Amino acid sequence: MLELIAATATHCPYCSLQCGMYLTIDEGRPAVAPRDFPTNRGGLCQKGWTAANLLAHPERLTTPLMRHSKDDDLRPVAWETALERIACEIRAAQECYGRDAVGIFGGGGLTNEKAYLLGKFARVALRTPHIDYNGRFCMSSAAAASIKAFGVDRGMPFPLEDIPSAETILLIGSNVVETMPPVMQYFDEQQRHGGSLIVVDPRATRTAQRATLHLQLTPGSDAALANGLLHIAIRDGLIDHDFIAARTSGFAEVRRVVASYWPERVERLTGVPAKQLTAAAQLLGTAATAMILTARGTEQQSSGVDNVLAFINLALALGKAGRPSCGYGCLTGQGNGQGGREHGQKADQLPGYRKIDNPEHRAHIARVWDVDEASLPGPGRSAYELLDTLGEAGGVRALLLMGSNPAVSAPHAGHVRKRLAALDFLAVADLFLSETAQLADVVLPATQWAEEEGTMTNLEGRVLLRQRACDPPPGVWSDTQIIAGLAERLGYGQRFPAEPRAIFDELRRASAGGIADYAGITYERIAAEDGVFWPCPDEQHPGTPRLFLERFATDDGRARFLPVQHRPAAEEPDNDYPFYLITGRVMAHYQSGTQTRRVKELRDASPQAFVEIHPALARRYAIADNDLVRLTTRRGTAIVHARLTTTIRLDTVFVPFHWGDEDCANRLTNPALDPVSKMPEFKVCAVRMAKVEPHETLIRAKGAAQ
Amino acid sequence: MTEKQRLVVIGNGMAGARAVEEILARGGEQFTITMFGAEPYGNYNRIMLSEVLSGNQSPEQIFLNPLDWYAEHNITLHAGTPIANIDRAAREVITQHGLRVPYDILIIATGSHAFVPLMDDLRDSAGRLKEGVFVFRTLDDCQKIASYAQRSTCAAVIGGGLLGLEAARGLLTHGCEVHIIQRASSLMNQQLDTRSGALLKAAMEALGVHVHCDTQTSSILGNRNVTGLKFEDGSELACDMLVIAAGIKPNADLALRCGLTVERGIVVTDQMRSVDDSCIYAVGECAQHRGMVYGLVAPIWEQVRVLADNLTRQNGDAAYHGSKLATKLKVMGVDLASMGRVEPQDEHDEVVLYSEPKRGIYKKLVIRDDRLIGAILLGDIGKSAYLMQSFDRNTPLPGERAALLFDIGAGAKQESLQDLPDDTQICNCNGVSKGVIRQCIAKGKRSPKAVMEATRAGMGCGSCKSQVQELVTFFCAGDSGEDFELINQETLYTPLTLSVKPCADAKSASQGQAQ
Repeated sequence: MLELIAATATHCPYCSLQCGMYLTIDEGRPAVAPRDFPTNRGGLCQKGWTAANLLAHPERLTTPLMRHSKDDDLRPVAWETALERIACEIRAAQECYGRDAVGIFGGGGLTNEKAYLLGKFARVALRTPHIDYNGRFCMSSAAAASIKAFGVDRGMPFPLEDIPSAETILLIGSNVVETMPPVMQYFDEQQRHGGSLIVVDPRATRTAQRATLHLQLTPGSDAALANGLLHIAIRDGLIDHDFIAARTSGFAEVRRVVASYWPERVERLTGVPAKQLTAAAQLLGTAATAMILTARGTEQQSSGVDNVLAFINLALALGKAGRPSCGYGCLTGQGNGQGGREHGQKADQLPGYRKIDNPEHRAHIARVWDVDEASLPGPGRSAYELLDTLGEAGGVRALLLMGSNPAVSAPHAGHVRKRLAALDFLAVADLFLSETAQLADVVLPATQWAEEEGTMTNLEGRVLLRQRACDPPPGVWSDTQIIAGLAERLGYGQRFPAEPRAIFDELRRASAGGIADYAGITYERIAAEDGVFWPCPDEQHPGTPRLFLERFATDDGRARFLPVQHRPAAEEPDNDYPFYLITGRVMAHYQSGTQTRRVKELRDASPQAFVEIHPALARRYAIADNDLVRLTTRRGTAIVHARLTTTIRLDTVFVPFHWGDEDCANRLTNPALDPVSKMPEFKVCAVRMAKVEPHETLIRAKGAAQ
Repeated sequence: MTEKQRLVVIGNGMAGARAVEEILARGGEQFTITMFGAEPYGNYNRIMLSEVLSGNQSPEQIFLNPLDWYAEHNITLHAGTPIANIDRAAREVITQHGLRVPYDILIIATGSHAFVPLMDDLRDSAGRLKEGVFVFRTLDDCQKIASYAQRSTCAAVIGGGLLGLEAARGLLTHGCEVHIIQRASSLMNQQLDTRSGALLKAAMEALGVHVHCDTQTSSILGNRNVTGLKFEDGSELACDMLVIAAGIKPNADLALRCGLTVERGIVVTDQMRSVDDSCIYAVGECAQHRGMVYGLVAPIWEQVRVLADNLTRQNGDAAYHGSKLATKLKVMGVDLASMGRVEPQDEHDEVVLYSEPKRGIYKKLVIRDDRLIGAILLGDIGKSAYLMQSFDRNTPLPGERAALLFDIGAGAKQESLQDLPDDTQICNCNGVSKGVIRQCIAKGKRSPKAVMEATRAGMGCGSCKSQVQELVTFFCAGDSGEDFELINQETLYTPLTLSVKPCADAKSASQGQAQ
């Protein structure tokens, strides 16, 4: 029975839970085996189980591709040719239009080492302010709100293991049953202990179906809901006056603002019956311990920062923060959504969660990088603003893109595709020929998770080690090798190591003394301690699983209440576009689907995009289950199959965003940005729909065949 | 820097104070702001007055803007200082004490006062309301009523509308016998039709409130204090307390005296500006827009948003087009929601009606062109949140009207696992259906552990393990293999025997690879 298989301890390549897994190589064939790690306790979802299927995938890119002119096809070329072309185009764009004409777009799936190196590459080798990444689309609203309220942004300021001991949990805009299934172990345990789970979502998702109480709110009414809950908590005497006095500031103004959110008004704004609001406030307020967790549903709105602040206000007023088994947390989405935002991949940021417009922070980083502080550029454009101005006068003309597929994943994707096509030059590094890579002038084949080494920081702020388990196919380079190779051709070779450990050592020095301090973290410690929580300022420091127990990270140590008013979504339904469109994920797929759509098991499980419509609404448009439906917004059209379900509101339809052709949900979404975080409003816009008649389908099929 | 404009606001209630808040929210740096309030408080939430009357909330709990808020925002507040006159030629307001304050822009938000119907012997010789007679309008009124009700045994309320019923509720909590005197033939005749009004009356009576409809009070009995009411038909009712809640009357005298056009209220344009004077605006219950005077808070807040957009020039195109009216309340345990037009306007309007008088349930929808234009829900208001939003937003309604009245299909009873169809998903994490598990068992995997390893069902979050176990038991029908073993619900992880490469190896592997 005992068989000995060589196995490497690593982590799943997908979401921010970063489930522990082993990669085994049996007769040359890689396979995944579960691993008992604190995040997943051995559980894996279908994505994790099938993650190894992509390592030797036939569609894998194994050689650089290049087109000589825009109407030319992509053809295989040697690495030397490809890198020389990129360096040449960068120099040309900068000579012609200035330094700022070159930009970088990164990803929340890249390791800390890559994110750090990419940020340094932009500031030192390119000296451009324009670097941002798809993580802006992920957690930027929660990050901005946490910094305002607590003085620091770490998705969850406590480990997952604390979840079961919270008596009540309020989960807003998160369908964890499908998006990070193994984490449900913690919520199930919490409920087994008699705890309550309240889920806020416009859909009765599988997560909502497992909740004690489901508040099926109107899309975009999150802040009104939070203010309404706080209003009831104040009315019913549920707030913690001692905590407010001892640990916070600014409550009076918030109290004044929420006085205008009485239950009947909030019911009208949110569509959640006043009785349920009261029940939720009671469950939260009478519990000895409680947590409030948000995710993209409430954060990906043009009022995303305010939404999160409103829920933080609620947590603070109830005294449910900065204490064991209590607190506000954000469930980050992408694999390295947390670490990717800490080390300089963001337009306004330098390593260690430093600010690029802070003179002291600049001076520290300039010392580590051994450059003149004045040579460091200032803040650049945020992700959507960067994409929106590509190829325009004053915009970026040559773009290097890694670990992202904005042609599918950015809002108003049809427009973003046009902007990408308008670039003078686009270089993309990816595993597969993604929709974005298809638009590129040079495509570079990159290594996958199991073929490289590096660290990831998961949703808990736990720094994890991704170990190298197998060799990449011949001809495939890691992103760090690519960056180092380009730096060398631009005359900065000695400043850019390609070896992950060397980069991590530099990252540790750069982050030292910053908010996200990694100085005391080593690969060996991570492996030995099941990850290390930042901040960890020196090698003797145990790391910090729980923040805020003594004080918050603000100057005076107090958490800040910040008053928030309900603002309607940037686009509300009207006569022309009468329904809400919301978007999200399904279990079998991850992000733009570049990886998961290529896994047979996952494709079989979820072969195509769909639109969830309430049957009563569908009948109005004579739409039956599985009919093709044309969805139209002010930005574009998508055609997807109908999926009739009573789990959705009558005024709302839902489309998952993992597909890239005419079934691309983001062709519809609204790029209205949050004024603070610059988060686009992926989660709310106005849509109209019509059934695609059979004769149209025939015409379309013929068109596709030709 | 250009000189600041002097903005004067008469009225510090839910309209006036909210208008200033909206202006400040848009910057508002161009104004120095002075406010006059007749009441000696900051701004409080009038919606909550009945909660104060019934003792559910203390007066402090309903303040929206405490006095220090005004100071923090550099607003000069004259609380308890009514304005006596407006000198439009000089652009000044004049207080009761003769203080003159100049304005560049004036907002009139004087609200309304209680409408008191003509009745004989209502007042004493000094012109004050007879002792024991109250109107129900302000925080002071509320506190006086609450304290007087302590020694009252029988109270009458004139007015069977929204406010009257709320007053009755408050009085009941103070232990009084309560009579509602309603001139119309049914209760809440503004919001309800005759049938639902009758149902509400029956419900009120079941709770011990005496309701007298079609009854008009002609005089108030008692010398110094009230001892009873005399009605038009000559009958009498003994009582020791009277609350008048017969509606509101806009406070427009000030505007009338300075020559502004006043009908029921101060006539304003879509920008909430007086039709006579481009420096003067009116919002709230004192304003009349397209023939309507609004007494509910939602329309008033819409008005002040338009006003603030215009004054701060944030949106010069902002215009108020009137509001849709909806109310929802709980009167002594009876849930009630009403919105829009509760009677059809012509034969094309569709009426959907459900009535169950025995349980006090009544639901009525008025639909035009597939949009909800009015509704009444009484007794069961479970669908009110959805209906009110459809009404507010003019959303096209689904075809089945029944779905608008009842939660059809929701909360269907849980079918047993054995009866579920084969395509039912058992394991969400790994997408394993009941059919796949059945086939797996048929192929000889006859224990939960074997099924889990083969299908990966239960190997994600583990919450379906008990269902997998149940299915194995069912399909094996007592004939499970000898390797049948129960799974521990608490632990998910089944350790594999692996030779795990330590971290240091990873290091050397990585170094060997570097190119």
